[in-house]
Amino acid sequence: MVEKEQGCCCCEEEASEEELLARLDGIIQEYKDKPGALIPVLQQAQAVFGYLPDVALRKISLGLDKPYSEVAGVVGFYSFFSTHPRGKHMIRVCLGTACYVRGGKQVLDELKHRLSIDVGETTPDRVFSLDVARCFGACGLAPAIMIDDNVHQRVKPARLQQILDQYIDEDQARADKKAESKAKA
Amino acid sequence: MTDKIKSPKDLLALREKAREAIALRSGPKEITITVHMGTCGIAAGARNVLASLSRSLEQEGVSNVTLRQAGCAGLCDREPMVTLSDKAGKEYRYGKLTDERVQAIVQKHVIQGSPVMEYLIGQ
Amino acid sequence: MKTVHSHVLVCAGAGCVASGAHAVIAALEESLRKHNLNKEVELVSTGCLGPCAIGPVAVVYPDGVFYQGLKPEDAEEIVSEHLLKGRPVSRLNFKVTATAQIIPALQEINFFQQQQKIVLRNCGVIDPTNIEEYIARDGYQALARVLTEMTPEEVTDTVKKSGLRGRGGAGFLTGLKWEFTRKAPGDKKYVLCNADEGDPGAFMDRSVLEGDPHSVIEAMIIAGYGIGSDQGYVYVRAEYPLAVDRLQNALNQAREMGLLGNNIMGTKFNFDLEIRMGSGAFVCGEETALMRSIEGKRGEPRPRPPFPAIQGLWEKPSLLNNVETYANIPVIFNKGAEWYASIGTEKSKGTKVFALAGAVNNTGLVEVPVGTPLGEIIYDIGGGIPNNKKFKAAQIGGPSGGCIPREHLNVPVDYETLTELGAIMGSGGLIVMDEDTCMVDMARFFLDFVQDESCGKCVPCRVGTKRMLEIVTRICEGKGEEGDVEKLIALGQQIKDTALCGLGQTAPNPVLSTIRHFREEYDIHIREKRCPAGVCPALVRAPCMSACPANVYIPGFVSLVSEKRYAEALRVHRDSNPFASVCARVCFHTCEDKCRRSNLDDAVAIRGIKRFMVEQEVTIQLPEMRENETNAKRKVAIIGGGPAGLTCAYFLARLGYQPKVFESAPRPGGMLVQCIPAYRMPREELAREIRMIERMGVEIETNKSLGKDFTLQQLRDEGYEAVFLAVGAPAGAKLRIANEDAQGVYDSIEFLREYNLRGSAAIGKKVVVIGGGNAAVDAARTAVRLGAESVTILYRRTRDEMPAYKEEIEEAENEGVIIKTLVAPQEIVSKGGKVAGVRCNHMWLGDFDSSGRRRPQVREDGDSFVEPADQVIAAVGQSLDTKSLLGDLPVKTKLNGFVASDALYGRTSLDWLFAGGDTADGPSSVAEAIGAGERAAVGIDLYLTGEEHAFWRETFDVDTEFDPDADPSDAPRAEMKLLPEERRVHNFNEVEMAYTESVAVREARRCLRCDFRSCGTEKSASH
Repeated sequence: MVEKEQGCCCCEEEASEEELLARLDGIIQEYKDKPGALIPVLQQAQAVFGYLPDVALRKISLGLDKPYSEVAGVVGFYSFFSTHPRGKHMIRVCLGTACYVRGGKQVLDELKHRLSIDVGETTPDRVFSLDVARCFGACGLAPAIMIDDNVHQRVKPARLQQILDQYIDEDQARADKKAESKAKA
Repeated sequence: MTDKIKSPKDLLALREKAREAIALRSGPKEITITVHMGTCGIAAGARNVLASLSRSLEQEGVSNVTLRQAGCAGLCDREPMVTLSDKAGKEYRYGKLTDERVQAIVQKHVIQGSPVMEYLIGQ
Repeated sequence: MKTVHSHVLVCAGAGCVASGAHAVIAALEESLRKHNLNKEVELVSTGCLGPCAIGPVAVVYPDGVFYQGLKPEDAEEIVSEHLLKGRPVSRLNFKVTATAQIIPALQEINFFQQQQKIVLRNCGVIDPTNIEEYIARDGYQALARVLTEMTPEEVTDTVKKSGLRGRGGAGFLTGLKWEFTRKAPGDKKYVLCNADEGDPGAFMDRSVLEGDPHSVIEAMIIAGYGIGSDQGYVYVRAEYPLAVDRLQNALNQAREMGLLGNNIMGTKFNFDLEIRMGSGAFVCGEETALMRSIEGKRGEPRPRPPFPAIQGLWEKPSLLNNVETYANIPVIFNKGAEWYASIGTEKSKGTKVFALAGAVNNTGLVEVPVGTPLGEIIYDIGGGIPNNKKFKAAQIGGPSGGCIPREHLNVPVDYETLTELGAIMGSGGLIVMDEDTCMVDMARFFLDFVQDESCGKCVPCRVGTKRMLEIVTRICEGKGEEGDVEKLIALGQQIKDTALCGLGQTAPNPVLSTIRHFREEYDIHIREKRCPAGVCPALVRAPCMSACPANVYIPGFVSLVSEKRYAEALRVHRDSNPFASVCARVCFHTCEDKCRRSNLDDAVAIRGIKRFMVEQEVTIQLPEMRENETNAKRKVAIIGGGPAGLTCAYFLARLGYQPKVFESAPRPGGMLVQCIPAYRMPREELAREIRMIERMGVEIETNKSLGKDFTLQQLRDEGYEAVFLAVGAPAGAKLRIANEDAQGVYDSIEFLREYNLRGSAAIGKKVVVIGGGNAAVDAARTAVRLGAESVTILYRRTRDEMPAYKEEIEEAENEGVIIKTLVAPQEIVSKGGKVAGVRCNHMWLGDFDSSGRRRPQVREDGDSFVEPADQVIAAVGQSLDTKSLLGDLPVKTKLNGFVASDALYGRTSLDWLFAGGDTADGPSSVAEAIGAGERAAVGIDLYLTGEEHAFWRETFDVDTEFDPDADPSDAPRAEMKLLPEERRVHNFNEVEMAYTESVAVREARRCLRCDFRSCGTEKSASH
């Protein structure tokens, strides 16, 4: 079975910026000579940094020999790219038709209320970012939300805290473990 | 799987081999349970069902069951779903599975051989 | 003693007959006779039930138990165990269906049985991560044949012959596209797969990529050979991580086996494939934009021509199909183009996958031959609409598509028909919407979507959709103006004609199609500032209120009851509806259907709370009235003392008028007193509320019948300045069958009126009631109380479709009424001029009629039978004889014979004449009549004074406590207790018993207070 590796930055949090930029160099080298390389490189860069910092964009522009304006233009066009740091967990609320009909809007309102942020924003502790999406193809299970790569189905506003807690607890457990092994060392 | 297919003949041979392998694999095992793992199934908890099934089968010491995965069976509303095909090749589809339901299916259908009517959603 | 009442339906379709159904039927018959059950159990041989493969099959109703693979020797066991002792025979592998109704509702079996799987043939069957499973099911065999036995020309010809059309959009012939690309000059060509399934609501491509990725890979290699290309790209949206994984895995496997790369299968053909992921831009589903995106640029579309077949990716000839289209290809080559072309309709071949979602029981992917009627997809496969809601429309084709209302459930779903109806096939997203969906809001949703996703390159799309969105948003916010709809149509047409790409050209479709099919909903938003579905926040104080035809401030009186402030609660109720006590008993409570609490557990029992509230009233307090000497002098006549007329009088009196009511019967109350039996509506309760209205200065003159005792012209001559016509629909409709005039045949209104007004009515021993509405049930239950030995209701559709209230049907059955459904009277059997029975045909439900229900049709295989009767009561509708009422006055009537009046004020084509209630709307509910009466009062006041003075319409709040942050009460819904059957079947005592105080208060606290506005100001739009 293929398990998707964690697409977010959680495993990278300790890596320094130099390490990340070095990793970006590797990606650029890999794609350099392929046609239409810009978007795949941006996608991978975002996976490395968690977002697309300006320094990365400049490096990509140089590495792929594309004007910076073109790189920025592409980043601005696609909604998946973000030039701002995002939270550890990306929450996407589906507002596709089926989810809309089944109450996706109420789910979004409740999330805004609980996290005290608006769409496109990140919580001050940088744990969650909130965004909307158009259809994950999980219409049979509407309303759906996607946190990182996990789709949660038939979400009821009242059940949201429980879902968020799962992620908070997991992070906590991971942090505890780390602290423990550090203490042992 | 490293052999390359170099001609249609190779492909035919591979098809027969694959069919045999599938028959062999399920032959002595008699029962196959397919867990439907599309995005919707996974969102509804298909991974848990798979884990729960293998745990349950192990606990009961059942060895005549092949567990496998496949894509979405189409009826999202009843996810998570499994298809159980028995030794006669008859297929039973169970839906909206929970740990309890999985246990009941293992107990009654796999071990005692009688389908759990309440959870069946079609054949 | 209740009569046992069961049906056994044995399938006598060709399949089951072949497997021995006749012998089974004979054996069942014999067993029934042996056990003396042949009178109580009806054995019906039906047309094909569907699952022919497991026949002979039978269904036992009412419990809906489904037996399969029957043999004659099983009959005895079914009869003795199941029918006699009520224990389904488990040995026979039975299955209980979801709904236990007369029509086979073998929902889930249907779901799988009625599909024909080509695209989804392997989905859910094979392990998508294992190429060998694909190969074991003939995978890559088509490729082998193509590469070794066919020329590229033969390949494109085969696709052409199959008649396959592109499954992603407008349905262009796939074979032609292949041929164009093959013939296009150039040595570098590309094969592209559009897996950017962006239409919200469609997910078949995801399912194929996740469940059967090799089918797409195989098809793309075939296409590569066909058009002469060595490189392909699959463009997958980033929202589908699992699909990307599985596809990547499949690509690796295929490459490893030599199915991708150089010299595929030992031939000279080379081909490879790469995945490109989208990055969240809907417009990239458009073909030219998609190619730009693969090139690594902003995904903006460009004008066509040149078409991609000539100049596509990197300006090279390119073939682009979507996932579903490709998934058909291997099957076409394996089974032959002719075989494929034999499926579907003349112009649309093969199957189509629909993603069924929204308000439907079986959500999921459904693959059926193109041309399958929409109703079959939604009802037979989809299992119908959940929670007993009504089907309203299906949105098909996503944001580029349109909606199909229930009048068109019967249309075949193919490319041409959908286009005619203003929708498109698109990717096949089929969102089912029930009565709770507001079509204006839906249009706003789609506009918001396309506006948000518009790439901004061309002006019509960027600015035009924005302008349309502004107008629709304004309408949803209650700020719509006359002419807005026309503006939307004009703008939409212009965008369609001038936008650059497919996305822009189709962007106005959802608005145009909702206007086309649901224009009146726009009008109600604009003119009445009301959202009937209870969706648009600015127009909806609480969903229950939107649903109430009388617009009662429901959360207001409910919360007052929770604080035991009963007098205030009643005042709140009577502020918009004088008949609190009447409605506490007979209201259809549409409010409860819309109650948001039902999303949590069950709706608040609003009517139950109301019933308790009115029981607390000792003397009726008069509502706020505004004296007005001028108004008091003006003469207003109200004709008809039913709920509509009396309500109109009530509100006119509150404005200081002193209207006069003319009632033809000896007692006022209309249908409430003439037809609704006393066990539902105690007469004293009604009389109290009528006395209240009289105390307000309204004069009621009884035994005065319009057309007999006076005419409208006489009223005018006597100085009446305005007249409200609300005489109801007092005549019963005819059965229109032979011997209808035999002695002993009554119409239900006549029968009920006779009993209710005179106190006695002739009653037979064996009474048969024809019809399925409330009048039928009222007549049947009245007949039981008058001492009939048996009462049977005959109804031509199924129980689900009976218009009577569910509770009433259940109580009738509890009282011994037998309900036979799917039977229609053919003639009255008479002996010596007296009725002796009703000859009936067995019916089945055929295609869908314009009401969105299945049309009952006579079953050709079933014999007719005679239901013995010495009294027949027909309750098949009501009518109005406008001629005798209006004389020669030039008043417009509607096609159905009722008086035409406008929805805002009840104005007819004569300025001084208003009409409402059943007289204008046809048979409708008490609450609807009350609403119509109120509107007419406002209309009459406006007509007489030139202004509206409806002070009761102003919004006010109640000062009850409410903590929005507290968790809602977790008490379950309280049901009202009923008088035990033996204590009610011989009298007319009220059946329902009111709550006790503690129950009522607890129930009232369950209200979620949707009317509560914490900030007090309108929510500002945040994005």
